[in-house]
Amino acid sequence: MKEQPISEQDRRRRRALIAFQIVCYGYLLTMFLIQLHMYSTRDW
Amino acid sequence: MNKAPTDELPLGTTPAFAGMHKWLQRGLIVCLTALVLEGAFTFPLLALWYGWPQLSLHEICTEFEKIRFADDSRECIYPYPLFGPAEGAGQKTAQDEWGIQPKPLYKAIGYRELIQRRDERLARQAAAHASQP
Amino acid sequence: MTTNTMSMGGMNNLDDHHRRSREAQWQADKWMMSGALLLGTAVFGILGFPLFLRGMALQLKAQREGLTVRPIMVTLIGYLVAVDAALNTIGWALDLVAHHTLLARVFLMAWGNMFDAGYFWHYNELWLGGASAPGEKAWEIALLPIVFAMRIAAAIGFLQMKRWGHQWLIITCWFGVVAWTGYIANMTIFADVRYTGVVFPVIGWWLYDIFYITPFLALPYLHSVNREIFSN
Repeated sequence: MKEQPISEQDRRRRRALIAFQIVCYGYLLTMFLIQLHMYSTRDW
Repeated sequence: MNKAPTDELPLGTTPAFAGMHKWLQRGLIVCLTALVLEGAFTFPLLALWYGWPQLSLHEICTEFEKIRFADDSRECIYPYPLFGPAEGAGQKTAQDEWGIQPKPLYKAIGYRELIQRRDERLARQAAAHASQP
Repeated sequence: MTTNTMSMGGMNNLDDHHRRSREAQWQADKWMMSGALLLGTAVFGILGFPLFLRGMALQLKAQREGLTVRPIMVTLIGYLVAVDAALNTIGWALDLVAHHTLLARVFLMAWGNMFDAGYFWHYNELWLGGASAPGEKAWEIALLPIVFAMRIAAAIGFLQMKRWGHQWLIITCWFGVVAWTGYIANMTIFADVRYTGVVFPVIGWWLYDIFYITPFLALPYLHSVNREIFSN
């Protein structure tokens, strides 16, 4: 078992990628909820 | 976190990203399965919903045209002349509530409803024909 | 040549393992790639389905037998992108240049009537034909050549573990992020045109289309994978 320490660069990269995913999925979810709200108020 | 030694990780995955890659893999498997099923079955299932094989593709096309432009006299011209104008260009029959957000007045088409619509129209036309000597 | 230190048997075994791995990978790819491209046409999708499954079975078999095949993530992303891009390419190419074929006027119209009336409402009324929903045509013209057609090429390079495949997949996946963001915004703004008189509005569309989020799943991997595994 050799536990390599995770480099500072990797740590930051991981944080950035997680943030990217939260923003993307958050945006999609927002758009979906807006459409869902419209769906509930209109006679589509 | 994943404490597996480095040499058990898949090629290209470093320990720092082992957890993230595992989650991505799950998402990818779900998406690939769904897309493969969609690619394989969308076309046949849509055809089934809209009345195939009782209606030929050409007849389905005609029914769509009548609904889209709210005009029972329209027919799906096929094959369409190669450099002719768009089939709907200049039409005046389609029904909408016009405004900054236009809203069409046609209704959604139910499961195999096109067959019923066509039968009813043909019966109507036959009746009209019979009453005129 | 390093034949002097190793026994000849060991070397041959290694070479043999390498050769068998490459052959197994090629076999699996032949089936999966032809399956993926047929699936991407939608019309012949049902024919591509068994081909793709057979390729996948071969890939898994090779992996179980301990052959050194491509990492599973690369295979998944490569084929997901290929199928996604092919489905989008064929659909939009039909709408853009073949909007008066019977196929477009049945397949696109049916899909549109079921999920997104952008492909039903006043269809084939614009002088250039095809979808009439506000903005839709512009998205097609922009995205078809520079996102989807290019992504098929990138996916093939990526599956061959080429450096350019990895780089171009990153580029086209970022295009994909732009495409998703703008397309969804356009759709939400003109939601009345697109969802009125549709069989399965909103939920149907999202259930059908959410699986095309490939760029969001691929990018975190592409930016964190060890680049040494891709060759020039």
